[in-house]
Amino acid sequence: MSPIDPRQLIGPASPLGSPAPFWLLEVFKVLGFTLHQVPMHLWYAGLPLAALLGLLPGEPARRLRARLLGGMPLIVAAGINLGIVPLLFTQVAYYRVFYPAGVLIAWPWFSVIVLLTVAYYAVYIAALGERGGRRPRLARAAVWVAALLFPAIGFIFANLFSLMTRLEAWPALAARTDAAGAVTGLALHTGDPTLLPRWLMLFGLALLTTAGFIVADAAILSPPQGAGRAFTARVAGTAATAGLAIFLVAGWRYAQTAPVDIPLFWRAPAAGLPAITWLLIVLQRGEIARPLAVAAALVQFAALGANAAARQWLQNRELARYLDLAAEPVRLEWSPLLLFLVLFVLGLVVVAWIASQMMAAVRMAADQPARAGGSASPAGRRTTS
Amino acid sequence: MHYPWWSVPALTAPLLIAIVAVLHVLVSHYAVGGGLFLAVEIGRAYRAGDEALLRYLRSHAWFFVLLTVVFGAITGVGIWWTIGLASPLATEVLIHTFLFGWAIEYVFFVIEIAAAFALSYGWGRLPPRVHQTVGWLYAIAAWISLVLITAITGFMLNPGRWATTGGFWTAVFNPQFVPQVLARTGGALLLASLYVYLHAAVKAPPELRTLLGARSARPALLGALLVLSGGALWYLFLPASARAALEAASTLNLLMLLIFALTAVVFIMLYLGPYRNPGWVTTGFAILFFVLGVTAFTAGEFIREAVRKPYVIYNVVLSNGIYPPEVPRLRAVGFLEGGTWTRAYVAARWPALLDRAGRIAPARLRDLPAAERVEVGRVLFQYHCNACHAVAGYSGMRALTRGWSRPMLRDLVEHPERVRFFMPPWAGTPEEAEALADYLAAVAPPPPPGMRYDGAGGGP
Repeated sequence: MSPIDPRQLIGPASPLGSPAPFWLLEVFKVLGFTLHQVPMHLWYAGLPLAALLGLLPGEPARRLRARLLGGMPLIVAAGINLGIVPLLFTQVAYYRVFYPAGVLIAWPWFSVIVLLTVAYYAVYIAALGERGGRRPRLARAAVWVAALLFPAIGFIFANLFSLMTRLEAWPALAARTDAAGAVTGLALHTGDPTLLPRWLMLFGLALLTTAGFIVADAAILSPPQGAGRAFTARVAGTAATAGLAIFLVAGWRYAQTAPVDIPLFWRAPAAGLPAITWLLIVLQRGEIARPLAVAAALVQFAALGANAAARQWLQNRELARYLDLAAEPVRLEWSPLLLFLVLFVLGLVVVAWIASQMMAAVRMAADQPARAGGSASPAGRRTTS
Repeated sequence: MHYPWWSVPALTAPLLIAIVAVLHVLVSHYAVGGGLFLAVEIGRAYRAGDEALLRYLRSHAWFFVLLTVVFGAITGVGIWWTIGLASPLATEVLIHTFLFGWAIEYVFFVIEIAAAFALSYGWGRLPPRVHQTVGWLYAIAAWISLVLITAITGFMLNPGRWATTGGFWTAVFNPQFVPQVLARTGGALLLASLYVYLHAAVKAPPELRTLLGARSARPALLGALLVLSGGALWYLFLPASARAALEAASTLNLLMLLIFALTAVVFIMLYLGPYRNPGWVTTGFAILFFVLGVTAFTAGEFIREAVRKPYVIYNVVLSNGIYPPEVPRLRAVGFLEGGTWTRAYVAARWPALLDRAGRIAPARLRDLPAAERVEVGRVLFQYHCNACHAVAGYSGMRALTRGWSRPMLRDLVEHPERVRFFMPPWAGTPEEAEALADYLAAVAPPPPPGMRYDGAGGGP
């Protein structure tokens, strides 16, 4: 076969035009991805950390493991839901490269549905086990299953999103799984030199986020007692140090292998902010301090935003070699956009109200242990004793 | 054609959509109706001070969260995953049309998830009034979510004036919108009651089982009526082609009959059982009920997918990923030349087919050796036919064309829409039709042996 110019593999633009300006789609995508990263990092690094803590003896390790696993079903639910936002805006802004890349690795991409279902139920089994479930061995095994499956899912995502911008790899991948011009989809894009650094960067950043979560949780929500305080601080510090080291080494390698140069404007905040997070966490190795813990969490959130924005810039630059994404004509309809924005704000108010009610209830339950099953007191009165 | 085609042996890629979609609707309808059940019953239990009922509802809420928040949510996202792989062009059109519709639906989905967790985790912790409010927030958000998604599924079946006028709101308020909202709301009520019977039969003490059986019978009966009335309106507002497909395809005939029969059986069982004799709700009765309901639902979803043929979106995207207005152009320049991936593949594999301008010249197909022409025909089959037909397997060509002669195959290829009106029209040149017919002739087996019509096989 003669070589195929990857530019020939890009389909025509939609005759419907873009439903919103490209910059607006980008804003929602970056914002959505930044928010999605918080819970995603917690399961990505938090579950392997919880699995490793299960190997350690002692109450402090057990307690920290329970803290990590206890809220994990909620974290996974939040992560999946927040992941819908960047995926939606990716599909509308990048459809000409997103769908072909997906089809080229169709089976691994499709398998995410199954892997995620198994991983999510494993998280529930693990969390229930921590709350005194009847099958502790099953719960321990479930932690490992989830701890392995989530990074595997992350690897498939890294595959797709690197393949999306590496059009030069498409012809070879299509030829490898050729079925008379169609593809079997039984491939992964493993030949990309940016793939492993990309995946490891995410893992490094996830370790930092998890470390930030551990100190923030210990400082604000559930302060550990006695030996647990030093242990928690030590674990957070170690995770942060390992995370920063992985992030910087993988990031350096990523910059080396990326097909376009990444300017200092994007590199500095993307690498600098995680370093500040690390500093704020290791400063607490002796004693977790609330102001430092809050600062570490906030800086890490900014680091996630900076990384999401830098990735977006890089993605666009990589794709600019093949197509002009912003050139699509815009056919914006204001009424659905405005309705969405209004409902979005109202939705945030409703969710904030639910969250505030839950936090108040949890605080009250901590003061007065909840009675199993609640009581059927008349409406308007508390059910907890 | 605009995108690479995912070849899934035996099943075909679009059948994966049907599988994921059916699994999803069986849970998502419960997510709507079950939310309403919980909101209503929690209120009743608090008002009556019924501790036993509250205890049961707590276990039901936990089961509900485990099923709907995990499996329901993942399969819902899974539909997206699968349609993007199996019908990328249709997905492109839907996302461009409904971007902010999906975004609005997402807002309600987030409220749903937050409320579902608060409902379950807040049990015994939240004040009763707040707990009830959370239950109702869940129920309302889940129903609005259903309404918004139904606008999109309705649009796929009949976009109405949108094809000529465009516009988001025209797309939302399509002719199928109200019928499908009615039918799906009814389905949610009905299916949720069947889940309640199943769960209560296993988990609730006998007296509660009887109580819940009686209470859930009314919404279930109302649901069955809504399904039937929504279904009738659905039929009325179908495009003529879909109505004709329903009459013409024997499988769909049988499935329609099955749905009406099962809904009628469930209705009678509901009336005689939980409504008149609530004590009948035993484990076996609940399982039978559930199986009947799930079977009717599955058949309904299969029909909903099947009657759209030859479109994925009526008059907008054909099932093989072509815009209908592209057909005349493809007939002139050739299907292989007109497709993004087919053009690149054929040009790289058979450079001899290119003319001086670098375009694929279908006339040159005649010069290819027979075996190579069959291979070109296979490319055409993948991109033109494989969305609905496997070679061997689902709607398999081997089985469908067994014993067909070469002229018959040629006629089928060039005029599929005349042979079966629910097939997309041929979108290539006559030379390409020859190549596809060559391929089909190569895979079509001879007639089954032993069948004689010349008297030599014996007779009375």
